[in-house]
Amino acid sequence: MSNTLPCGTRNYEYGQDMAIFRTRTQWVLLIAFLIVLFCVPLFISNFWLNKINLIGITLIAATGLNILVGYCGQLSIGHVGFMAVGAYTSAILTGKLGLPFPVAFLCAGLMAGIIGLIFAIPSVRVKGFYLAITSIAAQFIIIYVIQKWTDMTGGTNGLVVADASLFGYVFASQTSFFYLIAVVAVACIFFAKNLGRTRTGRAFIAIRDNDLAAEVMGINLFYYKMLAFFIGCFMAGIAGSLLAHWSVAISPDNFSFSESILYVGMIIIGGLGTTLGPILGVVLIRLLQVGVTQATPWLHESLTWMSTGFASGITPMLFGLIIVVFLIFEPRGLAHRWNLFKASYRLWPFSY
Amino acid sequence: MKRKYWISLLILSSLLISALLAGCASNTATTSNPQNTTDSKAGKELKIGAIMPVTGPAAEKGKPGIDALLDSIEYVNKELGGADGYQIKLDWKDSAYNAANVTTIITDFTNSGVLMFTAMSSFEMTNAMGISNKAGLPGLAIFTSPNLYNPPVHIYGQVPDYADSWVAFANYYMKNIWKGTGKPKMALHLLNNPTGTSVKDAAVVKAAGMGIDLVEIQEHAATTISEKDSLTRIKSKNPDVLFISSTPQPTSIILKNARDLGMSPQTMTIGMAYASFTKSLIDLAGKDVTEGIYGVYPTVTWEDNIPGVAKAREYLMKNNPADAGNMDYLMVWCTGLISAEILKNAVQAVGYEKLAKGGAEAWKAVEESGFKKLNYDVAGIQGAVSYTPGDNRLAKYIKIYTVKNGIITPIGDWVSTR
Amino acid sequence: MTELTQYLITGLAVGMVYALIALGFVLVWKSTGVANLALGQLVLICSWFTYTMMKQASLPLWLAFPAVIAFAAVLGWAIERFALRPLIGQPILSLIAVTLGIGYFLSGMVSFVWPQSIGALPQIFPKTPVHIGGAVVSQEYVWAAGISLLIFLLLSAFYKYHRMGIAMRATADDQMAVQACGIPVTKIFSMSWMFACVLAAVGGILISSIGGISYGLVETGLKTFSVVILGGMDSFGGAMIAGPIIGLAKSLGTGYLAHYVWPEFGEVIPFIIIVIVIIVKPFGLFGEKRIERI
Repeated sequence: MSNTLPCGTRNYEYGQDMAIFRTRTQWVLLIAFLIVLFCVPLFISNFWLNKINLIGITLIAATGLNILVGYCGQLSIGHVGFMAVGAYTSAILTGKLGLPFPVAFLCAGLMAGIIGLIFAIPSVRVKGFYLAITSIAAQFIIIYVIQKWTDMTGGTNGLVVADASLFGYVFASQTSFFYLIAVVAVACIFFAKNLGRTRTGRAFIAIRDNDLAAEVMGINLFYYKMLAFFIGCFMAGIAGSLLAHWSVAISPDNFSFSESILYVGMIIIGGLGTTLGPILGVVLIRLLQVGVTQATPWLHESLTWMSTGFASGITPMLFGLIIVVFLIFEPRGLAHRWNLFKASYRLWPFSY
Repeated sequence: MKRKYWISLLILSSLLISALLAGCASNTATTSNPQNTTDSKAGKELKIGAIMPVTGPAAEKGKPGIDALLDSIEYVNKELGGADGYQIKLDWKDSAYNAANVTTIITDFTNSGVLMFTAMSSFEMTNAMGISNKAGLPGLAIFTSPNLYNPPVHIYGQVPDYADSWVAFANYYMKNIWKGTGKPKMALHLLNNPTGTSVKDAAVVKAAGMGIDLVEIQEHAATTISEKDSLTRIKSKNPDVLFISSTPQPTSIILKNARDLGMSPQTMTIGMAYASFTKSLIDLAGKDVTEGIYGVYPTVTWEDNIPGVAKAREYLMKNNPADAGNMDYLMVWCTGLISAEILKNAVQAVGYEKLAKGGAEAWKAVEESGFKKLNYDVAGIQGAVSYTPGDNRLAKYIKIYTVKNGIITPIGDWVSTR
Repeated sequence: MTELTQYLITGLAVGMVYALIALGFVLVWKSTGVANLALGQLVLICSWFTYTMMKQASLPLWLAFPAVIAFAAVLGWAIERFALRPLIGQPILSLIAVTLGIGYFLSGMVSFVWPQSIGALPQIFPKTPVHIGGAVVSQEYVWAAGISLLIFLLLSAFYKYHRMGIAMRATADDQMAVQACGIPVTKIFSMSWMFACVLAAVGGILISSIGGISYGLVETGLKTFSVVILGGMDSFGGAMIAGPIIGLAKSLGTGYLAHYVWPEFGEVIPFIIIVIVIIVKPFGLFGEKRIERI
């Protein structure tokens, strides 16, 4: 895999071999990156901070989906439905029951995880297309319940979500949310990175690659599949909770089916089963969206001879095309490209 | 090897430190910046935002909507001299009728010096109002449903909402159409979003008081392909009048299915709220099915011979002849006029400097001296707009129409929605 | 009583329309092993093309229909040639995801070319409704039911007796062996996608003559999966039987449960059926059981 070391570099201790950050430079770079990351709000406008926050929230959910799809090989096309569960759980707990935000945040994850487990039951018997269809059905059933359970969820009118607060500090501005989201996102990515290296992560990968062989080797398929669903949906749930508090108001329409497809697209574009993959995929897709939203009015007014659908018909066309092109030409995604680039940089000027 | 690391480390850390310093410096710089923006007279403009579903599932409303808004702002700037001499700049974004897009756009608006904003559909406004109410950014909803200002905060309704249109229709029905004895039996067929549910809420509360017996309420989805079974249930209650609040496409299915089941304007009264009552409904459902249905609409029609409509037609023909005859165009044309009036009031009351600063102070000024001081007849195209304390519905009058020979024809004058 | 007959007739009629679209899915699954999640979008784009032919170019039906069929065939060929053929032999996850991507692309293309969100086809079928024992049903549904039955019979016969059909079945069974026998597998793949798109076009014309053209067709496509799952993914007969079952479940469910559940319960009945069937009997009523322990 990508963790192969350059020629001539060896590890002499087990601890050294297991380390994610092997050298002091890597540590320094990590710390520098974190410092830069946490200094970002000082430099950029609210506009871009808002986009970065959305990227952060998307990243948390996409990391969860990547554990489920990329590591464990269980395709889910209803991820946004589980985000909706988390968002509404958090909104209702803080708004209607007045629970503190951290409790609601965790409950949102748990609730989404538990609902995820219900729809994961079929995964014991089926896989592939059947599972994909189940997850689509899950999304529609969840959204239906949210739309109709008006006493709790406000129905199609949506809900106004109470402010998130932690020990008396209220997260109201984009900057404060940035820190909240950044901490959660970094923790989730670190968790995902480590999960892939544990017994659980290896079991997931074994199930993905060949579930029959995995079972023969003594891996409890039921347990691990359920665990993958739980972790994936838990992350969707906490991302949903953050989304709810961040976007102030939520309605069932925030959680559309096409968004679910986009999540699958993001992790495919980024690279399934890698930690870096979701990051690259999410950033690429969300930035493309920003670009298109900003360009639309301009295109509409300057290209009047064009069909009016030009401006935003181009968005789904582009995303669809990117998904197809990546599947055909680079199924391992951007992360793989990045590793290739890194390898060639390391070996330069020798070509192999 | 070692040295390379150290050098890169050094560069990185120095970059970091300088960036940090620059960040702190630029932070203080930006806070002191906006004060010294205004000395020159040129290019003074007031910015308003608009969220329009130009593409996506509501494009047939968003397309004429944005055309009308651009045209009316052009008209205001060119012929009326803008808002009290200041040019109005329209910052519009396409939402593609998608809630996530709306959230992004409205957050951008709160950060980009917009003084007020409008949203075409009640769906978009519903999704935008959480953020705008929290920030204090005032909004003018074009198509309105009661949930937008219940309780009233910073969102105002340009025209009477769907619940109001039910009230107006029911009043008209009781006065002019119902000839039988006893209470008329009414059935509702409603879209499963605020367009429909707000009618349900109003009807459940008010029907009995108006002497109407509400016998059946059915809901449908925007994506329906058959409403035979729901209409069968309605038919079993044998209602005298059917009221539909929905969008053109599902309404056309309902009307066609109802005709098959023997419920047509010839055998019963069919009325509808204004979201579905447009020319595209007649195109979709066919002339024979829609003949004789009643509907309410908040504006006059293109056939009305008044100067306001003539001016709109002039710009329509000049810039967007493809929208000819579109009623939504007229409604959004009014949005432009009302927005200009609001900004004019605000500018006259507090001056340009205060508004140009943007932010919460300016929004408050626009709301207090713009929205709340409105008293404007909108060139006679829609019901006059004015503010009553505690009630964010600006317009109080609506018109009743019927379809005659495939053309939407007015019957009578403005009727009150209260 | 009339209520019950009305529910039954409506359910059967709507179900037959679902069955027709489901046939297109089964066709592709049976011969290429690809699960086509872009079903709804294919229906949508073919309906809009029909709209262009009949409304904008105002061609008569006998000219417009072949044009639409030709368009659908070309579309099917292009999808297979450019998106699916490069993925032969890839894991199932890629095959599912690629159809999702195609669906996304097609829906973008629809809003690109046809920016208006709704459209109505001119009247194709006679307007007068048909009365069946106290129940009323529009002619569109009767035609849809008839046409889906006809297509089902044609397809079954084709698969049973025609050389190409037999080759298609063989391909689904074992690609390697078929190739060794000298049957052009790629040609078979193209053919089945072209057939599937033609079916989507016919289904699209029928559905949109009932309720107009809108994005709702995509969701109709998703609901069709309940038919496929219930009937078994590789059985034409299964689809023909499961379609009416789903239709009946929808109309009877909404009819008699209306006062016990939330409104519009019918909209999620197909999805609930999907989950139940997959938990209880994953390969459907008539699907081939794969002996595969997971």
